[in-house]
Amino acid sequence: MIRLQDVTKVYPLAKGHSVTAVRGVSVEIGAGEFAVIVGRSGSGKTTLLNLAAGLTRPTAGRVTLDGVDLWKLSDQEQSYTRNRKIGFVFQFPSLLPTLTAHENVILPTIFGRNGAEPDARDRAAAMLERVGLGDKLSSYPRQLSGGQQQRVVIARSLINNPELLMADEPTSNLDERTEGEIVGLFRELHSSLGLTVVLVTHTRQLIQPGMRSIEMAEGRIVEAG
Amino acid sequence: MNLLRLAWKNISGNSLRSWVVALCALVVAAFALFSTLLLRGAAASLELAADRLGADIIVVPEGAQTEMEGALLMGVPAHFWMPEENVAKLAAIPGVEAVTPQVYLATLIGASCCSVSEMFMIAYDPATDFTVRPWLEARLPAGLALGEVIGGDYISATEEDNGILVYGALVTLRGNLEPTGTGLDQSLFFTLETAHELARVSEIAAEEPLVIPPGQVSAVLLKTKPGLDTEALAVEIYRTVPGVYPIQSANLFQSSRTQLKSLLNTVVIIMALIWPLAILLIGMIYLMAANERRRELGVLRALGATRRFVCESLLAEASLLAFCGASVGVFIAVLAIYLFRRLIMVSLGVPFLLPSAGSLALQIGIGVLLSMLSVFLAALFPALKISRQDPAIAMRE
Repeated sequence: MIRLQDVTKVYPLAKGHSVTAVRGVSVEIGAGEFAVIVGRSGSGKTTLLNLAAGLTRPTAGRVTLDGVDLWKLSDQEQSYTRNRKIGFVFQFPSLLPTLTAHENVILPTIFGRNGAEPDARDRAAAMLERVGLGDKLSSYPRQLSGGQQQRVVIARSLINNPELLMADEPTSNLDERTEGEIVGLFRELHSSLGLTVVLVTHTRQLIQPGMRSIEMAEGRIVEAG
Repeated sequence: MNLLRLAWKNISGNSLRSWVVALCALVVAAFALFSTLLLRGAAASLELAADRLGADIIVVPEGAQTEMEGALLMGVPAHFWMPEENVAKLAAIPGVEAVTPQVYLATLIGASCCSVSEMFMIAYDPATDFTVRPWLEARLPAGLALGEVIGGDYISATEEDNGILVYGALVTLRGNLEPTGTGLDQSLFFTLETAHELARVSEIAAEEPLVIPPGQVSAVLLKTKPGLDTEALAVEIYRTVPGVYPIQSANLFQSSRTQLKSLLNTVVIIMALIWPLAILLIGMIYLMAANERRRELGVLRALGATRRFVCESLLAEASLLAFCGASVGVFIAVLAIYLFRRLIMVSLGVPFLLPSAGSLALQIGIGVLLSMLSVFLAALFPALKISRQDPAIAMRE
């Protein structure tokens, strides 16, 4: 499904300096896998996820999704691919504060020329019901707890029925109990919907049987299950 | 949910920023429309007043030019006289096609014998007149009879049966001329015969008699033959008829035109300062807003929004704010012009004619568009800059 071939990412810094976040990484994640990318802070795992999702252009190497080179697509095609094939869950609060939970979930459906699809409202309500927030449709992010906000984000990531779910440290700001609930939700979605899941975390304890672990250090994959 | 609703939601969620942008749009639109209405209204008024007189040259006693303009522009009664024989002298000058005398009068101040205090009145000779004739031909082909008058646009009957009390005599208002925005709108027109009758009645019915010096007129209006150089004719009049001053229609209201020109220059300077400042301020606000919302816009890109969508979303926000601000701005400008029209005329010393509904709508449209264009231009650079950023970079702290 996703294939990174000899991918390097260098971030330019001030005064002609630069930092290499990912060095010559090659990895393939197949359809239906639950891959967990682990590593310490600064090991390059978030950059690897961003590269795999086409959120940042590799300095060198090739990134393909279902055999298509993401960086040979136009902005419109690339955006469409992200919108239709990939669901994102971020580490930071990523809900739009001016929209309700329901509107936030509808958001990924409005990027086409004609705005939201006719059944988007119903689908969004069903998604919120599925993540246990059927009674929070009209709530604004500030009225929800951290765990509830991440559940809304998960509902948003699923609204377009993606094949791939990418999560970057989705539980880092949550307490232990909520973290367990969120990871449980990912497992449930993986098994019930057959989603491919790529989860980035610095907590090895989250890796459970049936998951593939990919460990990174200093921009390289040091161990891949 | 669509792009516009998303933009509106963002506007309502960032009230301070929205207020500042809308306020800038309001100021630009209000100032642009107010100045345009004022300047165009004043210019149109001057043109119309000159056209209304229908003369190519107006001959007044020497030294009475300013008083004449004051009477025509602001309705300040004029009191000047010259010998009636000048009419024949002027008619005899080669190149003169038609001449008609006028007598300028005024009602008394605060006297019970006059319904309206200090009203400018113009008595014309119906045999030779060309000032009110076009109006009369269209509406009163028989002309004005003794004791009948027509008024400027502001004149209305104060007594029963369309009556107006003038020097103790009741005259009948037969109609109103089209508005010019000048003193002519507050003036009364009647025949020389009515003027002399008013003078006769006033001796017994008024608190003070109306005096028309025998053998005197106030001004002579002149039409030249087609294609004639009016300037050369004016020089000839000045040379051959002593004690008079010929004012060419094109030069009429010269002081007001100069006043208008200076007003226009001031407006241009203020606009030249306000407009770039507003664009700069809005640009800076949007640059800050775009930086502040970098992560949010990065998330939109990650979720599948194209660069174009992000850019359009920011520009839609800016345009909506501009539209709201500009709409309030033009409303304030129009309201101010309508409410304070008299005050503006008096304080600036220029006449003013309200535009027609169509012209007003056009000017409002231009004001709103100008304001929206300013905000659009100001928001364009930040919107393009942020939309071109890598989503992953935009989402980083």
